[in-house]
Amino acid sequence: MQSIPQSAPLSILLVVLAVLFAVVAVLYAVGTIQFLVTDTHAPHHFTHAILFAVLAVASLIAANFTRPRTA
Amino acid sequence: MPVTTPQALFIGLLQGATELFPVSSLGHAVVLPSLLHWNFDQSNPSFLPFLVLLHLGTATALVVLYRYEWARIIAGFVRAALRGRIEGPDERLAMLLAVGTIPAGAVGELFIKPLTANFGRPVLAAAMLIVNGGILLGAEVLRRRSERANTSREEQEHEFKEVSQISFPAALVVGMAQIAALVPGISRSGVTMAGGLLAGLRHQEAAKFSFLLATPIIAAAGVLEVPQLFQQPEALGARTLGVYLASAVLAGLAAYASARFLIRYFKSGRLDPYGWYCIAFGAISLVLLR
Repeated sequence: MQSIPQSAPLSILLVVLAVLFAVVAVLYAVGTIQFLVTDTHAPHHFTHAILFAVLAVASLIAANFTRPRTA
Repeated sequence: MPVTTPQALFIGLLQGATELFPVSSLGHAVVLPSLLHWNFDQSNPSFLPFLVLLHLGTATALVVLYRYEWARIIAGFVRAALRGRIEGPDERLAMLLAVGTIPAGAVGELFIKPLTANFGRPVLAAAMLIVNGGILLGAEVLRRRSERANTSREEQEHEFKEVSQISFPAALVVGMAQIAALVPGISRSGVTMAGGLLAGLRHQEAAKFSFLLATPIIAAAGVLEVPQLFQQPEALGARTLGVYLASAVLAGLAAYASARFLIRYFKSGRLDPYGWYCIAFGAISLVLLR
């Protein structure tokens, strides 16, 4: 139904991006990074953590869409 | 000063009604208390649970209104995500909503929201209401150019697309337009409806797409703030909690009625009355707030 570009490098890139987002999500959750936050004194940034977790899942879904199919 | 019971109920009703009308709920929430000389402190810690509950009330109303669509959308999303391929209109709509919501949510939350944190000034919100009116009227001017003359409104509308037929880039652009609504006075439903019209949707379908796009964002705004409720220095009293819950129910009922009205209205109606209303309300507010 949709013509989504399918290529192995793009798919791998999206998986790498997903891993990166997941790592950033964990770092925000434990309060290691304070980048792009309004309250730099807060011990955790759960909103940002959830946001990056969603981005990680979205990247994995995009990777699934772009992976080349054998059949 | 904390918010009083009548004020809380009024704000609940106002938030629910104006969240879906293309007139900016945030703009009204900033301008109206100043016009009415209500000097409650919106940065008071007890005000946050109130806002959270109002958002959850509005989101619940939208979920109830589109419960069958959401069941199909969620099932379609899971199927398409696992398969890695879109088959059928429900799966396409699910992915259109994901494309319209996730990038806009990320960019808005990370980069734009911190910048607009200090934009809650009544005069600025009133000025932005005028800009919002201009956006609505501008979208209708452009829309009229692509409509066939000398035909009924129903026939004119029938020539445009349904939600599931718009392109993914258009869904992304309409979704990104929501970022502008972080500025008080710019309406989220207004900019998404205007964007939907420019993408070639029928008015009714543009409104439906706007409400479907709004649901996860409004719900997320509520749900993500829930942990902060437990970080309050003082527990809310039973009476205060009761008033807040009543306001949330009122917001939900108002949002439900607004959405039902707007979907029927946009069968043949246009954005013009809301555009003129925003310009008039913004201009009058600017004069009164001088």
